[in-house]
Amino acid sequence: MSGDDDSSGWQLTESDPGVFTALLQTLGVPLIVDDLYSLDSESLAALQPLHALIFLFKWIPTPENAVAGTYDPDFPGFFAHQVVNNACATLAVLNALGNIPSLKKGPQLEELMTFTTGMDPQTRGLVITSADWLREAHNSLSPPSAISLDGLGLPKRSEDAYHFVVYLPVMGSIYELDGLKPHAVKHGVYDESGEGWLSRAREVIENRIATYPTGALEFSLLAVRDDPLSTLESELNALQSAGKQSEAAELVVRIANENSKRERWAFENSLRRHNHIGLVYNLLVALAKAGKLEPAKETAKNVMKERVEKAKTRGEDMDED
Amino acid sequence: MADTETLLAFKAGRAFRRGTTNFVDPNPTKGAILLTMGEDGLLHFMWKNRTNDHVEEDLILFPSDANFVKVTQSSGRIYVLKFSSSDQRHFFWLQDASSARDDEFVNNLNGYLQDPEYSPVWNSSSQQPQASTSTGSTGSNSQLQLNPEQLAQLQAILQGTRGASSQAPELSLSDILTPANVAPLFTSHPELIPTLFPHLPPDLPTPPSAEALQRIINSPQFRAAVSNIDQALRTGLLGGLVTSLGLPEEAGTGIEPFLRAIQEQADKERRDSGDQMDTD
Repeated sequence: MSGDDDSSGWQLTESDPGVFTALLQTLGVPLIVDDLYSLDSESLAALQPLHALIFLFKWIPTPENAVAGTYDPDFPGFFAHQVVNNACATLAVLNALGNIPSLKKGPQLEELMTFTTGMDPQTRGLVITSADWLREAHNSLSPPSAISLDGLGLPKRSEDAYHFVVYLPVMGSIYELDGLKPHAVKHGVYDESGEGWLSRAREVIENRIATYPTGALEFSLLAVRDDPLSTLESELNALQSAGKQSEAAELVVRIANENSKRERWAFENSLRRHNHIGLVYNLLVALAKAGKLEPAKETAKNVMKERVEKAKTRGEDMDED
Repeated sequence: MADTETLLAFKAGRAFRRGTTNFVDPNPTKGAILLTMGEDGLLHFMWKNRTNDHVEEDLILFPSDANFVKVTQSSGRIYVLKFSSSDQRHFFWLQDASSARDDEFVNNLNGYLQDPEYSPVWNSSSQQPQASTSTGSTGSNSQLQLNPEQLAQLQAILQGTRGASSQAPELSLSDILTPANVAPLFTSHPELIPTLFPHLPPDLPTPPSAEALQRIINSPQFRAAVSNIDQALRTGLLGGLVTSLGLPEEAGTGIEPFLRAIQEQADKERRDSGDQMDTD
């Protein structure tokens, strides 16, 4: 278990679409998470059907006084507080999933959501955090603690400074679900026509980004959407049967891109779960057998010396990566 | 405490994390940061409350372990004292009415944090730093805040043995297992590559191959793992783990011992297989 006071056994995970999508699969949910590089209508349209947006950003020390939108203590949907820092990504995912109507879910998730119906956000947060199966699903995408790095007082990676906020439509209004705020935040109604809720969500998010000085905010956007693969494949079959070759060719390319993205995610996830000590050790042995370890050591010493000199003159800290 | 020497001092207040959030709130209490060399020969970073003259924080710092860094996302004069050996964070805000000397104080502070023998650079137009009152006057508790690793190091120093080094490290595994260092192996010693396949992730979507291995070594996940192992080795506490790799316990006491043991292992294996070939 982790040596952290407040981690309660929840490990830090990367906030990567591949990690989120793997979690959704474990939860039995037929959605995927993709990076969103732009909020313009074309980019959003390409990702439809789109169910929720997740806004993630690095921590900001200056307090943000104005809460845009209004707190809704009577929010009828699913909202849970973040009670364990390391669980923040999974908590954001659940706050999104809990408000997507008619969503297919695996039995454990279904049971968890039913069980927490009617609970206040704090209690819900506590119940979620104590669900062992969920914690294990969450932890399955970080390195196994076989090396027992916990309790050695090592610096945490900078990933832990991310905060996640979900934006999605519930009963005709745009809601912001932030596990660190006391209530769900209502941002007004939206018009069903045209882009629907996305248009209003875009406004809200852009306004938020504008409250920070330019360049001061490091953030990303993620989209929670239907898995497009099966739809694309049936469309492809239809086009091919109808003899529409050039359109079919376009789809072939899109499907290929989608598959290579999945392969990259699967590759990276297998690396995330893996204990690399054996590989590191054997690589070093291989270098040693090839007579390359000694020269590599010498170069590494020089590199470190230069780095320390530079850091001293700039008075910066020494953390790598 | 006549032997304590104040190296520098400047007005600063503390700032605290708001619960478990990532917001930091400045606390209005007037205070000062004092850096002193204690009679224990160790560097003390203290925060004194200027309204009651109590030293309310007293941190012992090891050379090059800590840095005082400006929090760039903030428009105020907010700084954080951070450590390479732990994830402790102490936030402060500069309280002098003028920010003209901020850089001067901070640069000198960091100079001392890297090396207690540092010679401070004071602008000729300014005077010596304010050492408000005698620093030894701590009637209040000075809490020593040491994480487990620092405690172990302190114990080792006191017992006269050399524990894990808290000095700036001599080298890092991350600079040895670079793509540039590993790539030549594929052409110069291709027979060594398959020895690595059993150590690749069992659920890798592509079968083990030299290409997969290259891809892995270039990946951020692998680099993060190397960095973790590097840091773990620096604590000197991995004796138990390395024995499971077939190495002597001494190999877990640091990066140099680890690499030496590996070289010895490799030489031994080469000699053994060399013997087999000679009998032909």
